[in-house]
Amino acid sequence: MDFLYSYLILAEIYVLLGLSTNLLVGIVGIFSVSQAAVFGVGAYIVADFLLSGALPFLPALAIAALCCILLNVLVTLPSLRVAGDYFVVTSFGIQLLATAAFTNWTGGTGGANGLPGIPPPVILGITLADTSQYLEMTTIAAVAGCLCFWLIMRAPFGRLLRAIREDELAVAAAGKGVLRAKVQAAALAGAFGGIAGGLYATFMSFVDPSSFDLDASILLLTMIVVCGARTLAGSVVGPFLLLALPQALSLVAIPTSVAAATRQLVYGLLLIAFALFRPQGLLGEKL
Amino acid sequence: MNAYLEVSGLRKRFDGLQALDGTTFAVEQGRITCLVGPNGAGKTTIFNIITGFLRPEQGSVAFRGHSLDGLRPQAIVAAGIARTFQNLRLFTDLTAMDNVLVGLGGQFGEEPLGAIFRPLYAARVQARRRSEAREWLAHVGLADRARERVRNLSYGEQKLLTVARVLATGAELLLLDEPASGLSAGALDQIMALLRRLQQEGKTLLMVEHNTRVVQQIADEVLFLHQGHLLAQGEPSAIIADPALAEIYFGGAL
Repeated sequence: MDFLYSYLILAEIYVLLGLSTNLLVGIVGIFSVSQAAVFGVGAYIVADFLLSGALPFLPALAIAALCCILLNVLVTLPSLRVAGDYFVVTSFGIQLLATAAFTNWTGGTGGANGLPGIPPPVILGITLADTSQYLEMTTIAAVAGCLCFWLIMRAPFGRLLRAIREDELAVAAAGKGVLRAKVQAAALAGAFGGIAGGLYATFMSFVDPSSFDLDASILLLTMIVVCGARTLAGSVVGPFLLLALPQALSLVAIPTSVAAATRQLVYGLLLIAFALFRPQGLLGEKL
Repeated sequence: MNAYLEVSGLRKRFDGLQALDGTTFAVEQGRITCLVGPNGAGKTTIFNIITGFLRPEQGSVAFRGHSLDGLRPQAIVAAGIARTFQNLRLFTDLTAMDNVLVGLGGQFGEEPLGAIFRPLYAARVQARRRSEAREWLAHVGLADRARERVRNLSYGEQKLLTVARVLATGAELLLLDEPASGLSAGALDQIMALLRRLQQEGKTLLMVEHNTRVVQQIADEVLFLHQGHLLAQGEPSAIIADPALAEIYFGGAL
């Protein structure tokens, strides 16, 4: 049962990340490959506050969300000046920078060894010690995230973001502020990423740089591309489907030494196959 | 007494090409003014400068006596000037209705906090904006195409939609970049009738147009541009009858 719960909890945390990535990449068309960096910053901030005992879980999570809002706005700002494909390169650099910081800033992140022993969250005096309680919390978070995404997409804000993806110049000519809307979208994506990070850190009780590296960013993009960019359904199904893959592979009798490589191989093949034969993904629209 | 739109001494250079070389002209309120001239005369550059997409090296633009210099496109739309593009620049994945809605102001929930925390109010405001957008679509003759995605509209319908979107901004001075180019005879008549109707409703039109028949039929005033400055100005019949201008326009003299 714990096995299934862990899978569901992780998938729900990745749903928040999927929403964050989909908002930027799918809806606004800011092709960010550094969303795992934002995820990591959220995770380390919550981990540090809980390990030092400086703040309880919810205030720590709020601060992580705020920091990630600021961070994501800052790292997305180049997209306002650097056009289209060049932003991918900028974003790639930001991701490498973040990984370097996570690995080398031992004071805050524990370096390559990571931060072990992160205490479980305490909410309203209740310690979330077992996985079923934790599942309730991540379910609430994921459902709230989906609700926000759904409300935004049916509101004028969603239409403005889609219009910006298609033609920024025409949006400006229609008298709307492109910069403001992009900053708002980046802020929202940052908040989702930061909260996901905080949930992840406390659930795993251990964080290290390998969870927030370029591979993680690419996994997020794979989820969006394979299962559906620009749609709520794609952001939800993607994490559940792709995180089930390692579990499915573990049922096949292959040695553990090649399991990780096999997983990467399957992700890569999926990405290529969908890009070639079904660019809109399972439940989405063409990027 | 200031002119309605006053363009004075614009100079703009692109990599060694002098696109505008001291362009000066004025547009009167309530008239249809056509900018004509051979390719490269600087017509679209003038549009880009008036609407804040380009900054001139010299010169200034004033609207109703207020300077527009240094304003961003958004502020210029708010001042009452909006434009269309020669290559339309519609949001082709969105519906005709949504294209018009992007142009409409006063929308609650066009930012995330309002959308998330006051969804019911946002939806109520949205219902009103939708009926306004539907009116603009009806105004240009696209009432029954509201739910259609732009890519499924004919070229003529797309041209009409650019006019609906520019009208939705509430602008009183409309800058139309070749509204009649590439249209079939039927669509051409439809758009000319629409432009005349807009004039009667009090809009002022400044348009770039190549089709001399359209210019002759619709323009109150023609501005003839050549190599970045104003060469001639007057009634369409006088401009078109001038053999020297025709020579420049249809080739030969450079």
